[in-house]
Amino acid sequence: MKSPFSTSALSGNSGWLLDLYPGGEAGLKVWMLTDQGERLCLEMDFPVTFYAVGNFALLRQAWIHLKGRDVLLERQHQRDLFSGDLDVLAITVPRPEQVRPLYYDLAGRFPVLDFYDADIPLSLRFAARYKLYPLGHFSIDENGAISALDSPWELEPASIPLRILQLRPNSDPAQCKPTHLEVTTSKRSFRLSLQPARLFLISLRAVIRKEDPDLILTDYGDTWLFPQIEQWRTENGTSFNPNRDEGMEVHTRPGSSYFSYGQVIYRGAQSHLFGRWHIDRKNAMLFSEYGLAGVLEQARVTGLPIQEIARKSPGAGITAMQMLTALQTGVMVPVTKQQAEGRKSLGELIRADRGGLIYQPIIGTHHNVAQIDFASMYPSIIVGHNISPETGHDPHAPKGLVPQTLQPLLEKRLALKGQLLKLNKQDCRYAELKARSAALKWLLVVCFGYLGYKNARFGRIEGHEAVTGISRELMMQAKEVAEDMGFRVLHMYVDSLFVQQEGYRENEDFTPLLDAITKQTSIPILLEGVYRWLVFPPSRRDPRVPVPNRYFGAFTNGEIKARGIAVRRRDTCAFVAETQWAVLEILGQVDDPTEKYDVAMEYVREQIKVLRKGRIPPEKLVVMQKLTRELEAYRVPSPAARAAQQLVDANKEVKPGQMMRFVYTRGKPGIWALDGDKEFEMRRVDVARYRLLLERDISVLFQKKRGKSFTRAWCVERVEQLAFPFASYEYHHSISNCR
Amino acid sequence: MGRTLPTISQQLTETEAMLSRFRRMLRKEDQYLLDGLFAQARMHIAAIGQAESLLPFEAALLAMLLEQAKDIQLLKHEIAILHQRLER
Repeated sequence: MKSPFSTSALSGNSGWLLDLYPGGEAGLKVWMLTDQGERLCLEMDFPVTFYAVGNFALLRQAWIHLKGRDVLLERQHQRDLFSGDLDVLAITVPRPEQVRPLYYDLAGRFPVLDFYDADIPLSLRFAARYKLYPLGHFSIDENGAISALDSPWELEPASIPLRILQLRPNSDPAQCKPTHLEVTTSKRSFRLSLQPARLFLISLRAVIRKEDPDLILTDYGDTWLFPQIEQWRTENGTSFNPNRDEGMEVHTRPGSSYFSYGQVIYRGAQSHLFGRWHIDRKNAMLFSEYGLAGVLEQARVTGLPIQEIARKSPGAGITAMQMLTALQTGVMVPVTKQQAEGRKSLGELIRADRGGLIYQPIIGTHHNVAQIDFASMYPSIIVGHNISPETGHDPHAPKGLVPQTLQPLLEKRLALKGQLLKLNKQDCRYAELKARSAALKWLLVVCFGYLGYKNARFGRIEGHEAVTGISRELMMQAKEVAEDMGFRVLHMYVDSLFVQQEGYRENEDFTPLLDAITKQTSIPILLEGVYRWLVFPPSRRDPRVPVPNRYFGAFTNGEIKARGIAVRRRDTCAFVAETQWAVLEILGQVDDPTEKYDVAMEYVREQIKVLRKGRIPPEKLVVMQKLTRELEAYRVPSPAARAAQQLVDANKEVKPGQMMRFVYTRGKPGIWALDGDKEFEMRRVDVARYRLLLERDISVLFQKKRGKSFTRAWCVERVEQLAFPFASYEYHHSISNCR
Repeated sequence: MGRTLPTISQQLTETEAMLSRFRRMLRKEDQYLLDGLFAQARMHIAAIGQAESLLPFEAALLAMLLEQAKDIQLLKHEIAILHQRLER
C-alpha cells in the first residue's frame, strides 16, 4: 500500500486512535495516544468516493457538469443490497470535506439520480478502510502504513491511560446563576471563580494547558459553559481555545426539538472539540444508564466518534454499524431508503401486524414463582433466522446484512453477561463490565426497532413482523414445555415467563426447565430469580380484569422487584414512592406477606402522622406532570396547566412536552409551581390530598387474604381468575368416577 | 408502536362501547354480570389474538364460554365435596 502519510517522522509508533477529522494539508488529521503517553497528530491523504446511479443520459450530463473540477470520475460496477450489481458513476474527491457540498450540488441539479455513500461519517470510512475503530490500538510501520492491532470485539481491551478533566458549575444554570466552577483533575480538585470573566478564562486556559486532558467531562458544558465562554471570550478579547488542535475552533451545533414515540423531546446545543473530546453529562443520551465506560464501548463497536455517540441515540449507533458492514462487504449505502412496504391482503395484515406476546396474568398472590427471561431474544431471532431486508428471512439464503452486523455484537454481549454472572458484585471490575454490557444491550434493543423504522436505510417492516411472529411462536413453545413438565404459567410478557410448581423453590429446581426450553427454542433462557411471593394486582377500574406487566414481589433473598406500580412511575412524588418501597421491603422479609400486614400498616400510619406534622421535606412532595398541549388549549386546566400558568406569570416560557414540577396546596389554585416566583409555605400543603395519594398507592400492595371463605368470595365476587387443579380434565374425571 | 390495526384489547373496548345502549337497558345487577363477561374475555386477550380471526369477537365469546365452563366446573367440585360429606 502506498504510504498514506505525508510525514514519516511518526513511523514505528504504536498507540490508540483518539480522534480524526478533516483538516491539514493532506486532508485528514488523526490523533494518536502513543504507548509512551505522547499525543501525536498525524496527517494523511484520504480521498473519498461516492456514487450516482440512474438514467445514462442524466449520468452523462452529471459527468459533463463535473468535468474540469478537482474530482476523479469513473464508470464502475457496484452492488446495491436489493438490485444487485449496478452501473454507477463513481465520483472521487481528494479531501473528505468536499463530499457534502458536491453531493448537495449534484442532488439539487439531478434530483432523479440515486446517490450512494454520500453521507457516511468519516470515522466509518476510516474504520472500513483500515479496520481501525475509535480507541483501537494500531501501529505505523516505516512505510507509514497503518495496521490495527486489536478489534472492537475483544472482551478485555487494554485500558487506555486517558487524562480526564471534570468541570462542574456549583448550580444548575437554568435555575440559578453559578458563581464558580468545580474543577477535578486526576490529582486534585479545586474551585475556579467565574468572575471576573477575564481572570476565569486565563485560569481555565492554564488548567487545560497544564493538564492537557483527553476528555473534558462537564455538567452543562453544551448548554451553558462553552456558549458562556465564547461570549466572555469575545467580550474580553481574551484568547481561549479548549481544542488540542489550536488551529481549530470549537464546533457548535444548535439545539433542536423532535418528535419520537408520541413525545416531544428537546436536545440541547452541542460543543465539539478537536484533538480532545468534550462530553456534557447532562446532554449525553443515556449517560446515567451506562456512564463513560458505556460510551467508550459504544464508540468502539459502532465506529462513531466518541463525542458523537455520547450525544446520539443507540439508533444512530446501530445505523452506523450497518453502514460499516455494508462498506466492508462492498455494498453501497443509499442516501435515502428506497424500499416501500409490500402489499398484503387483510388476512395477511391481521396475521402479521402484531407485537410481542402479552399473556394476561392470573390475579392474586403467588408463592415460589420463578421468572425466566430469554436472553437478547429479538437479536437472537434476527441472527438465528437470518432476518434482513434483502434475505426475505430465508434461513438458507446467504447471511443478510443485519444479522452480519448483529452477530458479533450479540456474541460480545452474551460473553460479557456471562462474565458478569460469575463476578461478585463487590468486585472492582463489576461496575465497568456492567456499564459496557448495558451499552451493548441498548444497541441490540434498538436494532430490532430499526428493522421497522420507516426511515431506516436497511429496515423493512416485513423483517420486523417476522421477528415478533417468531417470538410469539417461541413463547408458546416455552409455555408448552413448561406445562408438559408440570409447571403452571402465571404470566408471559414479550420475552419473560412466570412459572410455578408445587415443591419447587430453589434456583436449581428450575434448571431442568431452563435446559428444556433452551433445547426446544435454541435461544438461551436464564433465571431472573425465584420470588418467595409475587403479586399480580388487578385493574383499578375493575377488580376482575388482570393487567399485563404490572407486578411486585420479593425474591428469596428479600430483594424487591416491582413493575407498573406507583414506585416506578415518574409522576409519583418521592414521599409516596419511598413509602411504597418501604412497605414492600417490610412485606418482603417473610414468605407470607400477610404476616407483616400489621407492621406495614403501622408504618404507613406513622408516615401519615409525619406528613400531618409538616415534617416531610417539600422536595419529597413534588409531583411531576407533563404539559400535554398549549396552555390556551385547556378547557379545564389540569394541575400541570395551573403550574404552567404560574411559570407564565413569572415570565418564564413553557412549551408542550415540558415537565411541570409542583406541590399540591390548599385553596386556589391548588398547586404551587416549583420553578415559579411564588414563595412556598409549608402550612399550605394539601395534606389530605397527599394522604389520599398515599392510601391509593399503598392499598394496591395489600391483597385480600386467601382464607377459608376464599372460594365462596370467589364465586360471589369473582375477585380472582380461576386457576385451580380441579378445573382440569383429569380432575373432572376423578370426580365423576367417585360419584 | 407503528401498528396499523387496532389491538385485541382496543377492539374489545370498541365492542363494549358499541354495546353501551344494550348495557344501559339491562338491570343494574345484569350490567355487573355483563361487565364480568367482558372481564372474562380480557383474561384471554393473548389467545384471542392468536386466533388471527377477522372477527375477534367470536373468539372473545368463546373465551367467555370457557370461563363459564370453569365456573360450572368449580361448582360441580363443591357439590361433589358436599355429597361426600353428606354420605359420610
